[in-house]
Amino acid sequence: MGFARYVTARVAWAGAVTFIIMSVTFLFIAFAPNPDVQRAATQAALQGGDPAEAVERAKELRGLDEPLDVRYFDFVTSIATLQWGWSNMRSQPVTTALLEGLYYTAQYSIPWTLLTVTIGPFVGLYSSANKYSWRDHVATGFAFFGYAIPNFFFAIILLLVFGVWLEWVPVIYRTDVPVFSVQNAVQLALPVFVLVTGSIGGLMRVSRNESSEYMNADFVKTARAKGVSPLRAYALHILRPTMVPLSTTMVGQLLLLFAGSSLLVEVVFSIPGLGRLLFEATLAQDTNLVLGSVLVFVFVAVIGNLIQDITYTLLDPRISYEDR
Amino acid sequence: MATQRPDRFDQVNWEEITGSGRFSLSLNTKGFLATVVLLAAIALYDWQVLDERTATFEPVGLAVDIPILDYMFAFTLLLFAFYVVLPLYQHPRLTKYYWKEFKRNRPAVISLGWLVVVFFVGLVGPLLVRSPEQNVLHSYQPPVYLSINSANAATCLGEVANGRCFGTWQYPLGTTRAGKGVLGMLVNGFGITLKVGFISTLIAVTLGATVGTVSAYAGGYVDEILMRYVDIQASWPTLIMYLLIIYTFGGSLWLLVLLLGIFSWEGMARYVRSKALSISEEEYIKATSMSGASFFRIVRRHVIPNSASSIITDITLLIPGFLLAEAQLSFLGLGDSSIDSWGQIIAGGRDALAFAPWIVLAPGLVLFLTILAFNFVGDALLDALNPEAAAEAER
Repeated sequence: MGFARYVTARVAWAGAVTFIIMSVTFLFIAFAPNPDVQRAATQAALQGGDPAEAVERAKELRGLDEPLDVRYFDFVTSIATLQWGWSNMRSQPVTTALLEGLYYTAQYSIPWTLLTVTIGPFVGLYSSANKYSWRDHVATGFAFFGYAIPNFFFAIILLLVFGVWLEWVPVIYRTDVPVFSVQNAVQLALPVFVLVTGSIGGLMRVSRNESSEYMNADFVKTARAKGVSPLRAYALHILRPTMVPLSTTMVGQLLLLFAGSSLLVEVVFSIPGLGRLLFEATLAQDTNLVLGSVLVFVFVAVIGNLIQDITYTLLDPRISYEDR
Repeated sequence: MATQRPDRFDQVNWEEITGSGRFSLSLNTKGFLATVVLLAAIALYDWQVLDERTATFEPVGLAVDIPILDYMFAFTLLLFAFYVVLPLYQHPRLTKYYWKEFKRNRPAVISLGWLVVVFFVGLVGPLLVRSPEQNVLHSYQPPVYLSINSANAATCLGEVANGRCFGTWQYPLGTTRAGKGVLGMLVNGFGITLKVGFISTLIAVTLGATVGTVSAYAGGYVDEILMRYVDIQASWPTLIMYLLIIYTFGGSLWLLVLLLGIFSWEGMARYVRSKALSISEEEYIKATSMSGASFFRIVRRHVIPNSASSIITDITLLIPGFLLAEAQLSFLGLGDSSIDSWGQIIAGGRDALAFAPWIVLAPGLVLFLTILAFNFVGDALLDALNPEAAAEAER
């Protein structure tokens, strides 16, 4: 199987996974009790009407009286045509609400991801080059600290120290400042720091352990003997094989944090991003918005896994496509 | 029994080792079955004979009730005692070797000490310290030796000096807004942590090991379908799904424990599958199966013990994830608010953070230390149990 066919198969599988996850979510929401319908029934009962009739009316109004297969088909077509419906909670189309959320999520996610991806492997490499020195111990300690401290707890503590006691950063996130301004950088510094601390530890550990295998490998000794500069030896001869296992960890860690902790961090720092949107939509039982934001998260996860698999084969040509 | 085995090959009593028949059970299994039957009898009695409002031990004069979750917890504890602790005692030479290897990592030894403390406090603590009662008059009392602005503590139990209220030994770690002692809540939180950790892990290991072996041995379509399902589960945003399910069905602790266990075994299944596949090619497995060993015997005697090192290391990474997920969901207000889990205490103390930080700090630090300890212990176990896998399993 050639590379093109492998990528095609992987993309098709990614699409299938997204489809399956969305179908399960749809079914779950379809079978869960709808709060609007229940509210209508309660109201009718209080006003002396017929609850059963009110339930029928409420269902008809929301298109819930159709059989399940018709609703499912509608759901699939609306997803495919990017008409994700109307969000009652936000009084705007779901796609607009999601784009607004994404705008704020991206503001801290992009710096955080870039910092993690650049700093993590290099600190790990540095650690393994200076193994068992005090710098290595400091880096290892930091890695374990970041790995173990619950992100939301760390965020609360930092907000208490720097926001409430020292008053260096605003306690409430301000949406009216421009994206590229000092104020915005200041208010995003803590969320970015918390997420980098949380994600960098695993990367540092893996890159340290993996690259220490290659530090004294024969091909590195040969390269050094031929007069390759130390920097070039680290960057090209050691980092390259290290990146193969590292890419898996990297994508896994980033996705885990993106789908898990970013929600908590947004709640703590009151950033109106995607995670909080999903959380509030769940609380308000805004079905369309819940489905839309779940789709965004699933999409990111699936694309991340896809990128991981493809970079894996690109970085290590020995991995045959048939085995994977 | 390793201790009774003679040193010389010709003196081996083969009758004793092979056992008298198919149904001879080891001491561990006998002990386990006996205690489980007892547990099941109590559970059955509780379920069928007693009505819902009667506490389990009321007929014998004890006002102790056992909720469903505690039966599951007792079951996992029995498994742990008979298949982890007892074998370690039965094989002292191997235990000594593991300990020697493990001891080389000093932070891990300290961490293990902390985990032992967590285990015993969680096991015994909730029996001795009852869940604190609300007492509005005692709200926001500071921990001992610390003080709080008197304006924030309505009544002060300790001394008042310069407009600051000092803590008392009645509440060594202070109190919450409702006047509950933080220390008492924390101790009960240890118990909940233990339950979440043990039961979810048992579910995850059972599912993971089963799917892994079935997948490896069945092959073909079964393997393909199971592994594709594992792929789907791996790319599923789990926390978001917990959010949806728990919001719909309410955040009871047993539902959370069940969810955590059911949706976390994908890594375990992959490990066990690849281990089983590589083992089935080995000569000694071929020899064993040719001598008539059944499928279950091979799985039980060779596949599971050989993948034990990766299973155990995976467990040390899974449990912190469970604790974190519980704390995160509690923090979002979706947990079981009737229990004093660490996450619930953090969530409850967040509003008073500026003037009563101990409510958040105490459970947060304990949670942090526990997760940290699991990481250190996992790291050391990885080296002690399987030196070859050190680099491999870090992925």
